[in-house]
Amino acid sequence: MSRRIYPTAAWLVLALLAVYFLFPIYMAILNSFKNQSEIYRSVLSWPSTVRFENYSDAFRKANMLKSGLNTIIVTVTGIVGIVLFSSLAGYKLSRTRGRLSQGLFLLFVASMLIPFQTIMVTLTKMARDLGLQGSPFGLGVVCAGLGVNMAIFLYHGFVKGVPRELDESALMDGCGEWRAFFLIIFPLLGPITFTIVVLNLLWLWNDFLLPVLLLNDYRAYTLVLTINMFFGKYSREWPLILASLILSSLPIVVIFAFFQRWIIQGITDGAVKG
Amino acid sequence: MINRVRSRRYRSALSLLSFVMPAFALYLLFLVIPMLQGSYYSFTDWNGLNKTYGFVGFRNFVEAIRDDHYFRSAIWFTAKYVVCAVVFQNVLALLLALLIESRRKAKGVFRTIFFMPNMLSVIISTFMWVFVFSKVVPALSEHKGLSFLGLSWLGEPSVSFWTLLIVSVWGGVGTLMLIYMSAIQGIPQHLKEAAIIDGAQPLHMFRYITMPLIAHALTICIFLTLNSSFKVYDLVYALTGGGPGRGTQVITMNILEEAYQGNNRYGYASSKAIILFLIIFVITMIQVTVMKKREVEA
Repeated sequence: MSRRIYPTAAWLVLALLAVYFLFPIYMAILNSFKNQSEIYRSVLSWPSTVRFENYSDAFRKANMLKSGLNTIIVTVTGIVGIVLFSSLAGYKLSRTRGRLSQGLFLLFVASMLIPFQTIMVTLTKMARDLGLQGSPFGLGVVCAGLGVNMAIFLYHGFVKGVPRELDESALMDGCGEWRAFFLIIFPLLGPITFTIVVLNLLWLWNDFLLPVLLLNDYRAYTLVLTINMFFGKYSREWPLILASLILSSLPIVVIFAFFQRWIIQGITDGAVKG
Repeated sequence: MINRVRSRRYRSALSLLSFVMPAFALYLLFLVIPMLQGSYYSFTDWNGLNKTYGFVGFRNFVEAIRDDHYFRSAIWFTAKYVVCAVVFQNVLALLLALLIESRRKAKGVFRTIFFMPNMLSVIISTFMWVFVFSKVVPALSEHKGLSFLGLSWLGEPSVSFWTLLIVSVWGGVGTLMLIYMSAIQGIPQHLKEAAIIDGAQPLHMFRYITMPLIAHALTICIFLTLNSSFKVYDLVYALTGGGPGRGTQVITMNILEEAYQGNNRYGYASSKAIILFLIIFVITMIQVTVMKKREVEA
């Protein structure tokens, strides 16, 4: 008896919760194809005519090409900086014994507890003094600085599992330390590099508060900032807003669709090891 | 001989520093120095702009804790939010993980559905919820006879508190669910089989086999949710903006309001940020120490 009830009840609960999770996305997509008066008249029904022009309108008015490009610059700069510098540091700190190495590692790890609010104003000031305020590239550089600690922590742990003999044999063969790292070690760090890329992609692509503070010119805005501005500007024009919400989410959803299995693996690894 | 040892040690330190330096420089510039400066300014009355400022000792901290009505109500509101968000997110995530892991078919579909919100920007997905609560829910309550839905979801602080939780659970459970799922997969099969042979019912199974063996995942997930709920900002900003009035203002919002938005009391805002840091630090340290002790090895 109970063997029958459990699977059915489990399925029912999951289905109900799935409705809760899909409902807002479904509603946003559905209504993004209607016009304003139809949303006010019948928000729940299927659109009478499918209006793709909402999307082209949103794309143009929200200047999505430009803000999409800005987002890509921020994300790529940040991720390249984090992966390059943290893999170097994490590898070397993991391989070197002694107080200097331990102390440096501890400093990086301890800083993971600092809440962003504690540093935000002085960080903004620092970015301004260094000429990094107001540009997507500058934001990417600042993000790299904020992201290295966790990435170093993850690389440090991963490198312990890479046999030491590999570096030693490379050095013996007359390979320089740096060449050995890039030719032999870095390719072996692939799995953890992927995890780090995924975690930082989600952070950088979707970040809000730091870009608000550092990008004070709308021409440098990332997608999230543009949407936020758009929402304030056209607060009653739901068709336009909903279309812009869907459009700006598309890139990350497409990436997710392609790499789902690895992304889920990466996030689990990142959380459990971090 | 001694010279050679010393020079080798020197060389190894030099090579260490050359590998670590790029990361360390960025980390110093954008994390350590701002942190030290922020801590320093918390003892001053700096307004964030002027060249001059005065040193005020602990006066900012005393004012924040004793006299600042808005700050105290923000702490109280955030505390209530943290308790509910941590409990609901973890209970639901664990439930989902157990249900999905118990199924043979369609695991991947459900996992994708529940994880989906974690891919989206909090700002963007919360705007979708604003649409749902301001247009769809009123329509449901008027035309579909679901009159119990006719609440002021975004306009009344006591209701908005629950609106915030509905959205925060929606956006937060995905990652937690993945962590619980991987912990459940890690439970050795022979333990489950032994328990079933001994006649364990599903509830006993959960209480005596599953729970103890996923305790490490519980520690991680509660740490993650405590941390993120205390620092919540984007969600509240996009959903209610802290309003109406300051009815749903959280700590981070109060800090930002103090530092910018006309108040420009940067030194004072920094001391509040330090208080937030200490609250999070103390609570998560206690949580991790207490929960670590209860973990067992399989």
